[in-house]
Amino acid sequence: MNARQRNNVNVIGAGSKTIVFAHGFGCDQNMWRFVWPAFADGYRIVLFDHVGCGNSDLQAYDDGKYATLDGYAEDVVEICRALGVSGGVFVGHSVSAMIGVLAARRAADLFDDIVMVCPSPRYIDDAGYTGGFAEAQIHELLDFLDANHMGWSQTLAPVIMGRPDRPELAEELTNSFCSTDPEIAKKFARVTFLSDNRADLSAVTARCLVLQCSEDVIAPQCVGEYVHRQLPNSEFVLLQATGHCPNLSAPEETVAAMKAFLGGGNS
Amino acid sequence: MSERFAKDLDEIDDLEDLFEHAPCGYVSAGVDGRIIKVNATFAGWLRLDKADLIGRRFQDLLNIVGKIYYETHFAPLLRMQGFFHEVALDLVGADGTKLPVLVNAVERRDEAGNMRFTRITIFNASDRRQYERDLLEARRAAETANANLLELNRTLEDRVAEAVEARVRSEEALHQAQKMEAIGQLTGGIAHDFNNMLAIILSALNLLERRLAKGEDVAPLLAAARESAHRAASLVQRLLAFSRRQPLAPEPLCPNDMVRDMSELLRHTLGEAVSLEAVLAGGLWHVHADRNLLENAIVNLAVNARDAMPAGGRLTIETANCHLDDAYAAEHAIKAGQYVMVAVTDTGTGMTEETMQKAFDPFFTTKEVGKGTGLGLSQVFGFVKQSNGHIKIYSELGHGTTIKLYLPRFYGTASAPAPKASSDVTLPSGREVILLVDDDERMLSLTASMLRDLGYGVVETARGAEALDKLQAHPEIELLFTDVVMPQMNGPELAKEALRRRPGLRVLFTSGYTRNAAVHNGILNPAMNLLQKPATVEQLARKVRAALDDELDPHRHR
Ligand SMILES: Nc1ncnc2c1ncn2[C@@H]1O[C@H](COP(=O)(O)OP(=O)(O)O)[C@@H](O)[C@H]1O
Ligand SMILES: [Mg+2]
Repeated sequence: MNARQRNNVNVIGAGSKTIVFAHGFGCDQNMWRFVWPAFADGYRIVLFDHVGCGNSDLQAYDDGKYATLDGYAEDVVEICRALGVSGGVFVGHSVSAMIGVLAARRAADLFDDIVMVCPSPRYIDDAGYTGGFAEAQIHELLDFLDANHMGWSQTLAPVIMGRPDRPELAEELTNSFCSTDPEIAKKFARVTFLSDNRADLSAVTARCLVLQCSEDVIAPQCVGEYVHRQLPNSEFVLLQATGHCPNLSAPEETVAAMKAFLGGGNS
Repeated sequence: MSERFAKDLDEIDDLEDLFEHAPCGYVSAGVDGRIIKVNATFAGWLRLDKADLIGRRFQDLLNIVGKIYYETHFAPLLRMQGFFHEVALDLVGADGTKLPVLVNAVERRDEAGNMRFTRITIFNASDRRQYERDLLEARRAAETANANLLELNRTLEDRVAEAVEARVRSEEALHQAQKMEAIGQLTGGIAHDFNNMLAIILSALNLLERRLAKGEDVAPLLAAARESAHRAASLVQRLLAFSRRQPLAPEPLCPNDMVRDMSELLRHTLGEAVSLEAVLAGGLWHVHADRNLLENAIVNLAVNARDAMPAGGRLTIETANCHLDDAYAAEHAIKAGQYVMVAVTDTGTGMTEETMQKAFDPFFTTKEVGKGTGLGLSQVFGFVKQSNGHIKIYSELGHGTTIKLYLPRFYGTASAPAPKASSDVTLPSGREVILLVDDDERMLSLTASMLRDLGYGVVETARGAEALDKLQAHPEIELLFTDVVMPQMNGPELAKEALRRRPGLRVLFTSGYTRNAAVHNGILNPAMNLLQKPATVEQLARKVRAALDDELDPHRHR
């Protein structure tokens, strides 16, 4: 199985510079539907689904490989290599911001610029570090996912996966945008919310943009600022948009900030 | 105030009341996601004033799991598809209490497609969540029960299989023990005959020695010895076949064939004082029974008969087709219909009424310790019942006994008859000329006459060097049959030289060594053809024929 099929890679446009968009936990490449068209003129656009999400090959999911974010970063590198990406732009939302950091560590030549949308290198508070979640809260999340295996797929999954128990509703309610395999989603949540990539930030050589939302419960402002401080070469932009998905809730503002950072986008 | 205005006010009041106190929560959120309107029902659930909720975001009212999933899953969904339905979330009230709810949300847009607000409808799902939990619990319990049941079934099958197997094993052991007992009884009678046969062979060999020394014709003596040895061999073979442990399985059988096959064994068992007569019905039907057990039954009846005639007498085995009518069948609790009868009759002591009553009981015996076990008839009885048959004793004290077995007729085509005993089979033979080499002169001439008996031409010699000369002188020789271990030139050396001179020649070795020992000592190459000594005529005949027919013969290089 090649990387393009495995990760449901879509390539749009033929610009000489490539932008790779990576979605975060909870959705798939549809996350970028309001953003990527703004760059289609000057760039080659690469969209993909992480394994276990969207239309990726679920068979390719491997417990061992995807037990850390590094497994996902390996896929990013493979996709870029397959497409001959070099000196490109990586745009990662949420957990994928850190996946981009890890991919860049594996292959520094891939990206000149990294745009981090609502990044967090660690979600759990630590001595001298505020991640936004007490350890107990993350464990409440993980326990909820584990203990309510059935409950999860009966309550959350209907929206995410359609309703196996009520197929007549599935048509109407099936979410064609952010489909997720419930079992894999659980594991992805665990990897995401237990990750700690603070030590990787200082090694990033690419120019970085940190896009921070207001009132983001997942990645609070102090976390974005921390990321900005640790990166050797970064800009920080605080968006007016609230929540965790400015790419959906405030695409214009997001695009504007990215364009300002990338300098018009044509190279 | 106009009447109409008052009426409108009433209506507005009514609608307002419906909004505020509907059985579900209503929340409207602005473009920025902040709450702009909320009904009393919803505020009441959270134990908050309506005013306290204005300006907050819906996700801020959820527990931690809800917050995360709202931000990562449901907010994106709402934005992309314009709505979400029946999302199960937990609200956290002002006092920290959790309220399970089902949430629907839909974006309202103006005609130009611009978002006006988001309408969120919230249903109290405490009951439903409880049902769900109960349902999940019940499903888990059912799954566990099912798994346990499967496990039980699986082990149950195993346990039944085990028990059945143990039962079969002990039954087989019992049959075997009983058979060995019968063998013990048989061999007593057989030993005598066996001695006679050996005596014939020995005296023939003695005579042979003397006549050979005088150069006289020994063919009749050889024939007598051979015949006697054959009979001894076939007797041993039958004994071995009978004593072999065999799995129990019914098959279509012809009792006549079985009685015929067993007659030799029986004749020897009974000894000279008892004459054996078989009265076998023509056109006898087949039965469906275990061969081993039927054989065993006949032997048992014959042994009992012999024991009942210590001074000798007559034993008759009779077969017949017969019909058991309804009255008889009803009386004996069997099915009316067609049966094959096998009757064993003796002219012995007969049984008292009491003995007849108890004869089928296991361990009932009137014989002294070491002579009887009391298991013979109980086994026969068990076998007959198991075969849906019937058994009956007729006995008169001082005159004799008849025991009749009735086995149900088998309506089907019988399979091919069992292969005949080897003594009846014509041995493989031929007319080719064989060069026979053995330094043991007695062995040489014995083997030579056996080969001639089989029809072969034989050129014989006791020395390798001479063998090569004979090979030269007799171009008709097709097979070199040589002993392996010989002084001067051994078998393999001879074969090598012979093959050099006559490349198409076939070679067969014979040796008292086992093949493994011969190969191990480097005398023989593992691919070579070997007949192990001592060999029966049959083994010799087969091996020689095979060598001539070029089966297995690596020495044939054409
Ligand atoms: N043909 C027979 N004539 C007289 N008595 C017999 C005959 N067959 C069986 N019996 C009686 O039935 C008893 C039980 O026979 P059986 O079950 O074969 O055990 P066993 O031969 O070891 O005694 C014998 O001991 C004998 O008393
Ligand atoms: Mg007996």
